[in-house]
Amino acid sequence: MDLAKVSNEKKLDLCRWYFRIGFALLPFVWAVNAIWFFNEAFRKPEYAEQKHIKKYVIFSAMGSAIWLVLLITWVTIFQLNRANWGETADYISFIIPLGTP
Amino acid sequence: MTILKLLIFCLILLPPEGSGERVKNLMYENIKSTSGCYRRLNSTHQIGCSSKNGGSTGIIHVCKTHKDLTFILEEGKGKTYIPLLPAKLFNVDTLNEMIESKRVSGVMLYIHNVTLESLGHFTHERQCPNPYTSLNGSCKNDSEWNPYGTGLLYADIPFPIFYTDDEQEIIKMTACFEQYNNFSFERQAERSLCSLEMKSFMPATTNTVTCQRRSHVISSTVTFCDPLGDKNLWVSLYPLVDGPNKNEMKPVVDNKYIVIAAKLDTTSMFDKMPGANSPATGIVTLLMVAKYLKDILTINMLREAKTNVLFILFNGESYDYIGSQRILYDMLKGDFPMKNSDVLPKIHPDNVSLFIELSQLGNSKENQLFVHYWNESKEIRSFYKKLEKNGQPHLYFQNVSGTNGLPPASLHTFLKSDPSFPGLIIADHESSYSNHFYNSLFDNSTNIAYRYYDTLLPEYIPKNSFQQFIANMSEAIGKSVFEEITKKKYTGNASSDVVLADELLYCYLENPNCRVLTATQQDVILDDRPLNFYIGINGVSNFARTVTTLALGWLTGDVIGKSNGNCTNIPKNHVFQYYNMSSSIYELDSTVCYRLSIHTTDAVSPAFIIPDYDWASGEFSSWTESRWYEMSARLFLKPSAAHEQITIVLGLLSLVFSSSVVYFVKSKSHLLFTPIASAEGLPNC
Repeated sequence: MDLAKVSNEKKLDLCRWYFRIGFALLPFVWAVNAIWFFNEAFRKPEYAEQKHIKKYVIFSAMGSAIWLVLLITWVTIFQLNRANWGETADYISFIIPLGTP
Repeated sequence: MTILKLLIFCLILLPPEGSGERVKNLMYENIKSTSGCYRRLNSTHQIGCSSKNGGSTGIIHVCKTHKDLTFILEEGKGKTYIPLLPAKLFNVDTLNEMIESKRVSGVMLYIHNVTLESLGHFTHERQCPNPYTSLNGSCKNDSEWNPYGTGLLYADIPFPIFYTDDEQEIIKMTACFEQYNNFSFERQAERSLCSLEMKSFMPATTNTVTCQRRSHVISSTVTFCDPLGDKNLWVSLYPLVDGPNKNEMKPVVDNKYIVIAAKLDTTSMFDKMPGANSPATGIVTLLMVAKYLKDILTINMLREAKTNVLFILFNGESYDYIGSQRILYDMLKGDFPMKNSDVLPKIHPDNVSLFIELSQLGNSKENQLFVHYWNESKEIRSFYKKLEKNGQPHLYFQNVSGTNGLPPASLHTFLKSDPSFPGLIIADHESSYSNHFYNSLFDNSTNIAYRYYDTLLPEYIPKNSFQQFIANMSEAIGKSVFEEITKKKYTGNASSDVVLADELLYCYLENPNCRVLTATQQDVILDDRPLNFYIGINGVSNFARTVTTLALGWLTGDVIGKSNGNCTNIPKNHVFQYYNMSSSIYELDSTVCYRLSIHTTDAVSPAFIIPDYDWASGEFSSWTESRWYEMSARLFLKPSAAHEQITIVLGLLSLVFSSSVVYFVKSKSHLLFTPIASAEGLPNC
């Protein structure tokens, strides 16, 4: 969708919905929201809805950043301990690597 | 015009249509007829070899002596090497040196113009085989059964190992090494080097518990490992049932059984298991005894003595007695000989009055044979006396008490469950194996000095030949069993057929497409090369077992009439099978109708069928084999590091260059390309 062709009201609506959907454990939606609306929030001349858009963009960015940190931490812990956790690790794996303990 | 010429030139260069060889594969030269080492797992360990996923590569280096190997390990300038190593140099010390140096990415073992005598010994089994499932104290510290055993079969080796004895391939690899590698070693890093790539990647790791669990995780689409398993064989000398026809059969109850047993498998580090002494000599002797007893014992003698003879071939005994553990497990559950059969009598270990196991019999010195037992009992003593008497004047039986240990054998399984189980083992060795190639690829016909005479005339087979030795032995055992059952000495003049011994040994050691297979009249065609005696994984055909089933069925079958169309297995009957087979090895063309009572039972360790089995208990065999998809080795020229770097830099440069050209052209497109003005103006919308 080309944001240039959308009314400001519609922009705020979209941004708000993307922010809300992100709460359904969908950090990638927050990331998309933050990037997509970044120009609208910070680089466009001021308009009425911009304040709210800015708020949602910042919160989306923070949310996805927290998620990113959590995911990286988990992946690191999991990969370092996968072999030691044995059974548990296998049951929570989707793809089990071949030829490694 | 130039472009057209270039195109034609390219088309000529391309391989003809349909050859389907990818250009990237043209730089490789396959090494054919190699046998690889693969990974197996038990409840605690992984053993064997694996390459990296996608293959391990290394610079080839021909090592004729240990010094050559030391040279590459200490002074080699290349990154990793694959030594071409003579089999004689392969032992614990050299393997450890190679592993510790971290400069070896694979090993190609070879044998070229070497006799077994000069090799001396080559066995990678443990000094005390099957230590955890044998009886405690069966292997004393001062009397290892397999004194030359290196135990490397049970080592976890971090690189692939292949074996070849193909002269052409050895010459090919050596020539490549001489041409590209074998000069100015200091400057090796600066030129292209002849290298090997080995592919034998094993997905299963850690132990059986792990790989079985991973195969059964819900999201898993891959099977990591499969339990070792196949079938055991059993046959009774005369039917276990009485009755006139198929519908009125009744089990013969209250019988005692004399079991004559042997094992059906061997193993080796490499996927080549000729198993001449172990297990072929035992199997052939068992078949010969079966034939001899069929000739001299009548059904009336057996019924009168309320005794029958069972011949059992256990499979998977090399891997912690898989077959015997399973048969004992089935017997104790009341599932032997068959689950839910209302016709066959149940057989329990208590019904066995004597268990005679035929172990390795091919490396006897001066016709001496040894009768091993654990606890001396009246039955064992009296049977030993019979053997001693019936062996004369050709064979010298000698008894060896269990105080000196008991050689690894299926009997251990039964003794573990009942220490008073009446069993003995007949073998060619006293306190340690006379077979110095036990469980290796060199346990072949040369190892037991067998030569095929290809004759139907017994007088053409020398009296001091190995086949005569087998015939004498089966006769002595047969006569002793006859005496044991009838309580009378055998006074007839039937002798064991040396021609049959010659033919049977040929089937097992040289070519399974033999007269015995022809005599069974079954449409089985096998490869013209020695059989592989490996249990394999359950569900994969095992030709050694196929041949044995047919031979044992034929040799113990009852002739019930002329050969005709009524000799069929319809309606199906689980006690007997009917086949038209040759009347004897001498008359392959005249067929008669045989009634066979050969059966198979599962030889899969009980560990895999007991729900929630406790793997830590170590009670049953837990061996599995990793799945593998490729087992191959190929030669190629590996460019020097500088050459490789130039290639990648050139590639990157051309990428950057072409990207910038495209970017430039795109950004200046309005200047570079004049828009084509439509001659007819705008279309009329």
